[in-house]
Amino acid sequence: MNAASAMNAAHFEGRGQADDTAPVRIACKDLNFYYGQFHGLKNVNLDFHDRQVTALIGPSGCGKSTLLRTFNRIYSLYPEQRAEGQILLDGSNILDGNVDLNDLRSRIGMVFQKPTPFPMSIYDNVAFGLRLYEKLPKAELDVRVEESLRKAALWDEVKDKLKQSGMGLSGGQQQRLCIARTVAQRPEVILFDEPTSALDPISTGRIEELIEQLRAEFTIVIVTHNMQQAARISQFTAFMYLGELVEFGPTNRIFMNPVKRQTQDYITGRFG
Amino acid sequence: MTALTERIALASPRTMLRKGPSKGLDSLFRTASFASAMVVLLVLAGILGSIIYGALPAFREFGFGFLTSSAWNIGTEQYGALVAVAGTVASAVLALAIGVPISLGIAVYLTQLCPGWARKPVGMTIELLAAVPSIIYGMWGLFIFAPLFARFVQIPVSNLVEGLPLVGTLFYARVPSGVGVLTAGIILAIMIVPFVASVARDMLDQIPTVLRESAYGIGCTTWEVVRHVLVPQASVSIIGAIMLGLGRALGETMAVTFVVGNANRLSASIFDPSSTIASRIANEFNEADGLQLSSLMALGCILFVITFIVLIIARFLTRRVKVA
Repeated sequence: MNAASAMNAAHFEGRGQADDTAPVRIACKDLNFYYGQFHGLKNVNLDFHDRQVTALIGPSGCGKSTLLRTFNRIYSLYPEQRAEGQILLDGSNILDGNVDLNDLRSRIGMVFQKPTPFPMSIYDNVAFGLRLYEKLPKAELDVRVEESLRKAALWDEVKDKLKQSGMGLSGGQQQRLCIARTVAQRPEVILFDEPTSALDPISTGRIEELIEQLRAEFTIVIVTHNMQQAARISQFTAFMYLGELVEFGPTNRIFMNPVKRQTQDYITGRFG
Repeated sequence: MTALTERIALASPRTMLRKGPSKGLDSLFRTASFASAMVVLLVLAGILGSIIYGALPAFREFGFGFLTSSAWNIGTEQYGALVAVAGTVASAVLALAIGVPISLGIAVYLTQLCPGWARKPVGMTIELLAAVPSIIYGMWGLFIFAPLFARFVQIPVSNLVEGLPLVGTLFYARVPSGVGVLTAGIILAIMIVPFVASVARDMLDQIPTVLRESAYGIGCTTWEVVRHVLVPQASVSIIGAIMLGLGRALGETMAVTFVVGNANRLSASIFDPSSTIASRIANEFNEADGLQLSSLMALGCILFVITFIVLIIARFLTRRVKVA
């Protein structure tokens, strides 16, 4: 365990320290989730702090993606899935029946396992989400698109081919395009669901740097099956197992001094 | 190629263990499969060649005027294709205009909105619709649909628009009998819906779930997801499906012959009876000979060309979509 801790400790250099005095953006209270009969999340209580990166880790099927998918209620697309309890976004419960889902999803952006550029030009991919909610004059739209592409570290690579299809970009560029699309809507929270699992190491590195930069403006929740990645980019880590939240805390504490036996076994690679 | 196969055969000791004349069989198999492919080309060339040959007298007699003449007079032996071509194109275009939106609606409902338990039965019903023989549609169209259509659509609409410019011509039935170009278009629409809908459904089903979720994930409504993401994503295949339907509508004979009215009159009203190429050929082939038979062959050639043009347009469209 000591060797693992020493190795992990090296990853924290240069990353921001966990700030648990930051205001709580999302709070889960007694959250339960069901896929039909299957009980996917069991009494999860968890707070996500503003402008911090929180990583959700755990073995496959532990419920980390399920938890992430409750925050923008994307699970509502599937009638057999339901959530019980409370998820407070800035104090108001998003599980309420009368929540406007389209509005919620523009406030909580999501980036998926695989890059999902829409079948339109690079420019329109970014402008599409903006046009849904804001009527902007062309000049202002151009500014917002450029700003978003810059924030996604993609502008220099695509500025001369904005009219070309987004499908023509490489996998890593496509994923950054999806991040630009999400950032363009100026959400409060960005959810990343294993954003680098389909990418090569170099593209993965760029996305990780990007997430670190985006933390200045957004609250970020990332699901990852890669523990080194969690250690590298997050300030808080939640370890989940079989639908339950096992342990939550500042990332360096979770990785160097896990309290629970299961957490320790998982991060030292004894199972997972 | 053969030299390579032989060398591999020599190099491999395993072939020594082989029994039987496998090499002879193999070359027989190759020849047979090549011949099967050639048969298709031969049949197509044969049909095209014989129809063109049969049509030559008519083309020689009327020249290019055959295309622009609306005459079809057996007594004076004056023939022209204009009415039949116009009727074919008009009924097929109407069929697409009515059928494609319905097909896409069905496909979108089945893949995006339909509760799981209803998906199978509704899908099965649509496929059953494709299996109904066209003569059933024709019979139903003539005896049941046409009288109702005359009573509840043609007569009231004609009364309403009479005397108005443009719509007064387009939607005015001189003889509200129920049959006509629009009736043919509606029956054709019913016939192409199952084809277009089931292909479009399969295409929408193949779109990855993450793409759909990410469109919903930026706050799109179902309409926006379908309109801006799913349909464009599947557009190439959907255009293919539409062209498939257009091909069927252009060539459909039996059902159209029942309901199109079979009049050789050029009319600007979609309520008036007319003819299509296929319906005219079906109506007259039995008794035709001489110049009339040749003119029917010439009509057949034109139908060939029209379907060919449809294919080219389809190719052009699909290529443009890929680039964009």
